[in-house]
Amino acid sequence: MLRSFPVRLAWFDLDPLAARRAVTNHGGIVVESVGDLVAADVVIVAVPSPHAECVATFTEEGVHVVSLADDPTDIAAMLSEHATAKDHGVSVVVGAGVSPGLTGVLAHHLGERLSIVDEIHVAMHGTAGPACARRHHDALAGRAVGWHDGEWVERPGGSGRELCWFPEPIGPADCYRAAVADPLLLHLAFPDAERISARVSATRRDRLTARLPMLSPPHRDGDRGGVRVEVRGAAADGARVTHLVGAEGRTADLAGAVAGSFALACAAGRTAAGVVVAGADHELSTWMLRSVADAGVRLREYTGVASSVVAGSTERPGSTESNRSTGVS
Amino acid sequence: MKLLRRALLALSLASILAGGLRLRGKGGVPPQQGGWRELRVPRS
Repeated sequence: MLRSFPVRLAWFDLDPLAARRAVTNHGGIVVESVGDLVAADVVIVAVPSPHAECVATFTEEGVHVVSLADDPTDIAAMLSEHATAKDHGVSVVVGAGVSPGLTGVLAHHLGERLSIVDEIHVAMHGTAGPACARRHHDALAGRAVGWHDGEWVERPGGSGRELCWFPEPIGPADCYRAAVADPLLLHLAFPDAERISARVSATRRDRLTARLPMLSPPHRDGDRGGVRVEVRGAAADGARVTHLVGAEGRTADLAGAVAGSFALACAAGRTAAGVVVAGADHELSTWMLRSVADAGVRLREYTGVASSVVAGSTERPGSTESNRSTGVS
Repeated sequence: MKLLRRALLALSLASILAGGLRLRGKGGVPPQQGGWRELRVPRS
C-alpha cells in the first residue's frame, strides 16, 4: 500500500535485523535511533506497549503519530495528549490496529445505516505478532471493561463465553471478555450507544494459563485472524435492526493496512489536530473504509439470518443463540 | 426379587418417557441461504 503512494520510509526497530528485513521488503532506510524519526511527517508506533511516552515525545516535536496500542491503560494515557497535540497542530491516532482501529471504522459504516445506534459488540480472532500474542495472553487475565446502560462495568477477563462466527475460513470461535481498549474508544466515537462490549477468541488452554507466564513462545509472524463488528439500533422507520460486518486475513496485514491508511490520512491532512479515534469522524471513517478495502482487506457482511429466526426474535445473528437455529456462518 | 422387578419397570418406563420426549421435537431445519458476502464499500 505504501509503495503505491509517493512516500519515503524510515524504519527503526530494537532488533536491527528486523529493520533491515523491512527495508528489503518495503524499501526505505534504517535509522540508528528512534530520535531520528522526528524528521518524519508521520510516525507509526508498532512496538510493544507502552506507547504513551514515545507518543508524547513525537507530539511535542510536531510529528503526527499513529499508535497501534491496545492496552487500556496505555490508551487512556495517550488520550490525555489531546491538548498537547492540538497545540502543536498534529494528530495522534489512538488505536490504529484491528481491534481497536478497524472495529471503529466498521462500526461507523454500520452506524450510517441506522438512525439510532444502541449497541456495539466487537470480537477479534488471532494475533499479529509476538507482542500482540503477549497482550492477548495478558488481556484474558485482566479486568474487562464494558459500557452497559450508561455506566462502565468491570468483569473478569476470560468470562462471558460467546460463540461468534467470523468470516470464512475462520468460522466459529469461542470468544471471551478481555482487558482490551475497544469499549473505551468506541464510547468516544459513539457516545450515545448504550452498550459496548469487546471480546477476543481463546482456547481452553489460553484461559487456563492466562494467569501464568506464556507456556510456549508466540508465532513470530502471527497468524490468520479476523474481526467482527455487530451494531444494533433503530432504522429510520423505527424497526429494531442488527447489522454485522467482519474482515479476515493475516492479522498483521489487517493491522498494517489500517495503520498505513491512518498514516496516509495524517500526511494528507485528512485528520484534525488532537487525538483521533477510529469511527468518530464521518469523512475520515468513510475514506478509511475505502482505503483499507483498496489495500486488500477482505471486508464481509453477514446475511445469514434464517427467516424463522427473523420472525419475532431479537437474537443476535452470528452468535451462539441464533446459530443454534441457523447453524451457519 | 420383587424390588428388582419394580426397579427395572421404573427404569423402562423412564426410558420410554425420555425417548418419547426426545423424538417428539422436529429438530429444526438449517437455513438454506445466507452467510458472509462481500461488503460493498461506497466510493469516497
